[in-house]
Amino acid sequence: MHNSKAHIWFIAPAIILMIIILIFPLFLAGGISFTDYNLGNKTFEWVGLENYDKMFNRKTYVKMIWATATYVIVVVPISVVLGLCAAMLLNSLRFGADIYKTIFFLPVMATLLAMAIAWEFTLHPTLGIVNSFLANGCGGVREFILGFHLLPWVDSQESWYAVACANNMDFPYWLKQKNTAIWTVCFIGIWQAFGFNMVLYLAGLTSIPRELYQAAEMDGAKSTWEQFKLVTWPMLGPTTLFVVTITTIRTFQVFDTIEILTKGGPSKTTYVMMYAIFEKAIQQNLTSIGAAITVVFIGFILVLTFFQRYVIEKRVHY
Amino acid sequence: MEAKQYIGEGWKHAILIIGAIVVMLPFYMMVSMSLKSQQEIQSISGGLIGAQETQTFPVCVKTGYSEETCTMKPYQYNYWFAFEKAPIPRYLMNGVIVTLSIFIIQVLVALPCAYALAKLRFYGREFVFSMVLFCLLIPVHGIALPLYVMLAQAGLVDTYSALILPWTISVFGIFLMRQFFMTVPDELIDAARMDGMGEYAIVWKVMLPTAIPALLAFAIFSVVAHWNDYFWPRMVITGNRDLFTPPLGIREFRGGIDSDEFGPMMASIVTVTVPLIVAFIIAQKRFIEGITLTGMK
Repeated sequence: MHNSKAHIWFIAPAIILMIIILIFPLFLAGGISFTDYNLGNKTFEWVGLENYDKMFNRKTYVKMIWATATYVIVVVPISVVLGLCAAMLLNSLRFGADIYKTIFFLPVMATLLAMAIAWEFTLHPTLGIVNSFLANGCGGVREFILGFHLLPWVDSQESWYAVACANNMDFPYWLKQKNTAIWTVCFIGIWQAFGFNMVLYLAGLTSIPRELYQAAEMDGAKSTWEQFKLVTWPMLGPTTLFVVTITTIRTFQVFDTIEILTKGGPSKTTYVMMYAIFEKAIQQNLTSIGAAITVVFIGFILVLTFFQRYVIEKRVHY
Repeated sequence: MEAKQYIGEGWKHAILIIGAIVVMLPFYMMVSMSLKSQQEIQSISGGLIGAQETQTFPVCVKTGYSEETCTMKPYQYNYWFAFEKAPIPRYLMNGVIVTLSIFIIQVLVALPCAYALAKLRFYGREFVFSMVLFCLLIPVHGIALPLYVMLAQAGLVDTYSALILPWTISVFGIFLMRQFFMTVPDELIDAARMDGMGEYAIVWKVMLPTAIPALLAFAIFSVVAHWNDYFWPRMVITGNRDLFTPPLGIREFRGGIDSDEFGPMMASIVTVTVPLIVAFIIAQKRFIEGITLTGMK
């Protein structure tokens, strides 16, 4: 091969930057998490596991883990299933699929922060169209459907909808109420993420050979559901694995909506990890505890990715 | 059979239309609010665009403009006043400066490295490549805090460098370009060497042109991600308005939800959000390709 030393100049910048920007910070975070260092201090002392001890025993951080877990466990499955359903529906349409695809992909593209503010107004109790839509529907079809009056165990006088109507249109202040805030934030997360998953699934669906469906039909799988179980779902295995992993990693990193809409409240019900890192380390200048949260956060993500790469990957590939 | 299929198709459209309405709700709200007057917003009346009656806007008068200047239609007022209150062009320009610098540096660093990893044989190549694979696992937002500490120690908080530096290395870009260069036939490179081209010239004059499609997808991926990024600018820009990127600008416009006028606020948010959305609608295929790039294996 060529005896030029060109390759050194080619790879050196990348290697140096990788070490400084990606690898060194890992160790720095680990190091700081064992100290009482705060930004601006001249000295620091090693405090061992004290920061981690705080993290798993103080109420705030326990709530943080709960909020993060709730968010991830709700958003990931729902946005993946919605993405799959949307992709399959679009794939079976005779016309109009492109329009829906554009619309469903818009939230992925749009600046999330701006959309969070738009949602804030949409869900606002006095300015928003959601609550005015609900209020105008009292006693009508909307109440019947959204109050779940069709379900046998729901008393049509006692459903949440009927109660709100009876109490002078007392519909929830979605983002400020303890019992609704986290679910509302989850909803916005799902709204934003499912279009991305849909596009990945659409790509996955086009790569399934038509002959497989014909073969399945000959084997007696006539209904759409049977064909889905026999052909579509197994063939989408690798796509699903990838979609789930990437959605999980993105979902873990939720920050924009929380910071602008709830600030972790009410009473820490939406206090997710990225927001906790920001609030503790940047706003309150508690660098060391922020570092400990960072370490746990990265730990979660590395475990997830390794799990995907080396454990499940072997099983889903056909 | 025919009729049954049509009914099935109808049901699908019904479900998708309901979905589309829910998805479009905030967009509708945003555009509508940016066009209507404060009274119409507060009484939730006027549909999408409101009555558009010419009127004098009290907040504008209070700010010190003459009554004559402050008399116009709501949509004109909202957009005009938004630009009066905040240096929106400056925010947009910062967005362009930051995203373009990030992309250009990413390419300058990643392209030669990818070429070396794909086409040059040297001692330690496998090691460098496994380092790239390892770094792919690290979420940059996750290590934001140590990066912030490093930048603070270097005195770089509140500078353009703080916005750009952490993103200069895109291991994903290296990985992507390497995979792409693997498919370029060796003969092409050998021919270039025969012509007396050096390795540098090969990277920029032979490899770069072949990589344009992949590079374009990567450009969209990178630009969209950094244009929309809020977390990192929020960390490192503390108050200097001159350095605000569009999302930081949006945050500033929002101000107090109960105190301010909503029309101009939404007008500024629309202005900042619209460039990307328009670009997306024009070049939809390329955008979807670029953003789902991480989906390629």
